[in-house]
Amino acid sequence: MGLLGFILLGVAISGAGAWAEVSTALGLSLVGWGGLLQVIDGATLLPVQAAAGEAPPVLHLGFLLSGVLVWLGGWALIAHGIRRAPESTVGASPAAGATLYPRLARYRDFYWSTLGAYGGGILLAELVLVLLQTVLSSGVPSTELGAARDAGGGLTLPPTGAFAISLVAAAMVAFVSGFIGASRAQRLALPEATIGVFYLGLPVPILLTLMERIPSLQLQLGYRLREVTYVAGLLGRPELAYWLTFTGLVLALVLGINTGFIAAGSGRVDLKLGFELFVARRHVAVFRPSLLLGTLAVLMFGIIPPLLVYFIIRAAEAAVERTRIRSLGLSDPLASSEALHRLKLREQSPTMMMTALSVGGVGVGVMALIIVLSVMSGFEADLQKKILGTNAHAVVSRYAGDLPEYAKVMETIRKVPGIAGQTPFIINQVMIASEGNVDGVIIKGIDPATVGEVTDLPQNILGGGSLDILYTPEKILSRAMPEEDDAPAKGGAEDSGDDIIRRAGKPTKPAVLPGIVIGRELAASLRVVVGDRVNVVSPLGTELGPTGPIPKSRAFRVAAVFYSGMYEYDSKFVYILLKEAQDFFNIQGATGIELKVFDIDDARRIAGQVVKALGGYPYRARDWGEMNKNLFSALRLEKLVMGIILSIIIVVAAGLIVATVIMLVLEKRKEISVLKALGVSDGGIVKIFLAEGLQIGVAGGLLGLFSGLAWCVFIEKVGIKLDPEVYYIPALPVRIEPLQTVLAVVIAVLVTYLASIYPALKASSVEPVEGLKAE
Amino acid sequence: MALLSIRNVFKSYFLHGKRIDVLRAVSLDLEKGELVSLVGASGAGKSTFLHVLGTLDAPAAGEVFFEDRSVFSMNDAEIAEFRNRTIGFVFQSHYLLPEFTALENVAMPALIQRRERAGAYAYARELLERVGLGQRVDHRPGELSGGEAQRVALARALVLKPAILLADEPTGNLDPATGEGIHQLLRDVNRELGITAVVVTHNETLARSMPRRLRLAGGQVTEA
Repeated sequence: MGLLGFILLGVAISGAGAWAEVSTALGLSLVGWGGLLQVIDGATLLPVQAAAGEAPPVLHLGFLLSGVLVWLGGWALIAHGIRRAPESTVGASPAAGATLYPRLARYRDFYWSTLGAYGGGILLAELVLVLLQTVLSSGVPSTELGAARDAGGGLTLPPTGAFAISLVAAAMVAFVSGFIGASRAQRLALPEATIGVFYLGLPVPILLTLMERIPSLQLQLGYRLREVTYVAGLLGRPELAYWLTFTGLVLALVLGINTGFIAAGSGRVDLKLGFELFVARRHVAVFRPSLLLGTLAVLMFGIIPPLLVYFIIRAAEAAVERTRIRSLGLSDPLASSEALHRLKLREQSPTMMMTALSVGGVGVGVMALIIVLSVMSGFEADLQKKILGTNAHAVVSRYAGDLPEYAKVMETIRKVPGIAGQTPFIINQVMIASEGNVDGVIIKGIDPATVGEVTDLPQNILGGGSLDILYTPEKILSRAMPEEDDAPAKGGAEDSGDDIIRRAGKPTKPAVLPGIVIGRELAASLRVVVGDRVNVVSPLGTELGPTGPIPKSRAFRVAAVFYSGMYEYDSKFVYILLKEAQDFFNIQGATGIELKVFDIDDARRIAGQVVKALGGYPYRARDWGEMNKNLFSALRLEKLVMGIILSIIIVVAAGLIVATVIMLVLEKRKEISVLKALGVSDGGIVKIFLAEGLQIGVAGGLLGLFSGLAWCVFIEKVGIKLDPEVYYIPALPVRIEPLQTVLAVVIAVLVTYLASIYPALKASSVEPVEGLKAE
Repeated sequence: MALLSIRNVFKSYFLHGKRIDVLRAVSLDLEKGELVSLVGASGAGKSTFLHVLGTLDAPAAGEVFFEDRSVFSMNDAEIAEFRNRTIGFVFQSHYLLPEFTALENVAMPALIQRRERAGAYAYARELLERVGLGQRVDHRPGELSGGEAQRVALARALVLKPAILLADEPTGNLDPATGEGIHQLLRDVNRELGITAVVVTHNETLARSMPRRLRLAGGQVTEA
C-alpha cells in the first residue's frame, strides 16, 4: 500500500510540477521549487536573487508567500489524494503477534540516498555538460565586444565537437548515477526519481530558458555561458536545444535506473547474459533467415510485391505438398495423416506474426529516418558547397570603416595555422543597367590573382574563360552594336555554340572599358552577353548636387559570365577588379579579407585565432556559419524537427513491441513460473524479456539501416530527377552522414529497450505459484 | 540439526474474497535423507505448504530455516539461488519448457547456474539414461508421452543433486503402472543420493509405503 501511495505521489508530483510551470508563466515563477528554496535558505541564494533581480514580482513578499502557500497546498492535495487501506473490521487473526515474514518487515519505501543519487546525478550531469563544454571550447574568442581573451593553452575544440564530448560525458554521469541509485535501492524508486528530476534537474534548463527572456539575467550569466548559448543558438531556437538536451539527460538517467535495477534489483550486480539470451532466442526466433529476408524485401520493395511473390511460392509449395501427401495416402493412409500432422506443426503462431510486424515497424522507422535525413543532409551539403564556393569561410574586417592596411594584415594572417588562402575584397551595393533592363546587385571588387585561393569563382566561369581578362580590358571582345548585328555575323558564326559567350567578330569597338564578371541569371535578365556594355550606378556618390549626393555611374564591359549553381548568387553578384572598386567607391585598401580554412568545421576557432593574431579590436572575424546563421540554423531546425517527427514512427513501432512482448509474457506465464521454480531470479526474468524486445529492436534497426542505406545508394547512383526551374539542382541530393545514420539505429534500439522494460517487469512479477496453478 | 525447519508458519489464500487459513502456526523438522509423504483433502493446502517449503511462496508470518539459516531473510537473488541449488521440484504436470529439447530441459538448472554447457549436457544425458530415456534426448516435450515427460521432469529436478526434492502429486496424471515406475524412481533417488524427499499424494498405498507420513488438516500438520 505504501508503494502504491508513493507511486500515486510520484504521479501527482508531476501535477505539482505542472503547477510550478504554469505559475512561472504567470509571473509567480519559482513557486514549485524556488519558493521552498527561498524560504529555507534565502540567504544562501542571494546570488540567484541578485541575478533575478530584474524580476521584482518574484521577490515581492506577497508573491513569495502565495507561492509557498500554493506549493504547500499542492502537497496537501496530493497527501489528501493518497488512498489508504481500509481498517480491518474483523477481530485479530490467529497469527496476531507472530513474527512478520522478514522481507516484508524490512520493507522501506523511500531512500534519501537514492533521491540524492538521482537528483544529484541529473544536476551533476547538467553542470558537467555546461562546464566541460565551456572548458573544452574556451579559448575561442567569440565576436562580442572587448579584446580577445587569452587562450591560455587549454583545449580549444570546435564548439560542436566540444558539445558532443560534453554531452556524452554528461549522459554517462546521468546514467551512472541512475545505475548507482537504483542498484543501491534495489528497486526502480520512481518517487525518488520524479522528485530528483523535478527539484534538482529542472532549475538549470529553466534558468537557461529564462535567460533568453530576462535581460538582467542575461547580463549576469550570458557572458559566462556564451559557449553553451552559442551551440544552442545554432539551432535558431535555443530553448528547444536546452529542453531537448535536458530530455536526453533525463533519458540517460532513466536508462541508468533501469539498467541498475535489472542488474542489481535482485540483490547483486549480475551483468552476465548468456543464459537469458539462450532462453530469449528460443522464445522469439527473430534471427531466422526467412523472417529477416521477408522483412527486408518488404522494406525494399514495398508491401505488395513481396507479398505476391510469397503467396505464389506458398501456393506452389502447398500444391506440391498436397499432391505428395495424396499419393502417399493412396498407398498408406496412416503415412499421409502423419505427413499432414507435420504440415500443421510448421504453421506459425500469432506471436511470430507479431514479431515480424514489430521488426518491420522498427525497420520502416529507421529506414525512413535514414533516407529523409540523408536527403536533407544532401540538400544542406549542396547548399553549403554552393555558399562556400562563392563566399569565404571567414571574413576579417574592422568593426567600422575599411581596411587600408590590408596587405600588412594579410601578412599577419598568413602565419596563422589552418588558413588555406586569403584574398582582399571590396563589397558594395549598386544598380546595374543594360540596354534592356536594370537590376540591383552586390558588386565585389576582387583580386583575380588570389581570389581562386578562397572561392570557386575562377572555376565557375562559363565557356572556359579566365578572370585574368579583367587585367586586360582591351582584350575583351566587344560585341557589335545591335544595328550592325546582321552584317558581321560571319566572324562569330563558327564558334557561336553558346548564346551568352558568343565571340563577336568585330574587334573594332574603340572604347576600352573595365571588365565586369556577372552571373548567368543576371546576364539572362539583363539580356547581355560577354562583350556587352553595362552601366553600374552607385547611389552613394561623393559629389553633391542641388538635391543631395549625385549617383555615380560608370560603364563596364561584360568580361565573363559565371555559374555558381546558386540562384541568389547567379542573379545578385557581379565582380570587378579591386582597383576599379577602390576608384569607384573611393575606398582606401579593401573592405575586408576573405579567408579559406582547411577544415570548414573549425572555421570559427580559426577566425578567433586570426583576430588574436591581429591583436583583437578593431579587427573582427566572422565565420561562414555566423554569416549564414539564419539559413543554416533554419536547415538544422528543420532537420531536427523532421528527425523528431520520423522518430514517432519508431515510437509507434515501439508500441508494437510492447504489445508483442506483453503477448509473449501472457503466453509464457507458465514457463516464467517454471523458470522461477528452477531458480531464475526476478532480475533474470526481466533480462530474458528485455532481451526478447531488444532482439526485435536490433533486428529491425539493422534491417532499417541496411534498407535505408540501400535506398540512399539507389537515389545517389540512379538519381531522382528534380525540376531545375524549381530546385536549381538537377537531381535529389543524398549525403550519408555516418554519425546521423548510426544515431538513427541507436535511437531505435534505445526506444525498443525502453519499450520492453514495462512488459519485462510485468513478466518478473508473475508469481510462480500463480503460473503453476493455472492448469 | 534438522535440514529444514519450519517455525510457526501462517499462510492463507483467498477464495471468493474470503480468507482461508491453510497453515496455522505450523512447525515441522525434516531430517536429511528422510522420505516423507504428505496427504490431505483437496484444498487443505498441501500444495501451498510445499510451495512455502520450496520458497515459491512467502508465508504471512513465521520462518523457514535451512541448516539454521532463515531462508526468507535472504534477498531475491539469494532465494533464487537457494531454490536453484537446494531444491528440486516435480509437479503434477511435467512443466517442461516447450521450446527446448529433453536434454536442454534437464540441463536447465545447471545452465541457470551458468555452468559450462558441455558438462551440463553430459550429466543431463547420463541422468536421462538413468531414467530410461537415453533415446529421447533430442525430442521436444510435445513429442514425449506423459510418463516420459514426467521422468524428464524428475531428471531435471535432480540434475544439481539438490538436498531436498519436493514432489506435488507427481503421478496424479499418470496411469497406475507408469505411476508406480515414477514412485520406484523416487525411492531409488532417495536411497542412492540421500535426498530428502517430500511427496504429496492422494495415493494411500504409496503414502503408507513411506517411512514418515504427514497429514495436513485444519491448518495443522500431524504425523500419521
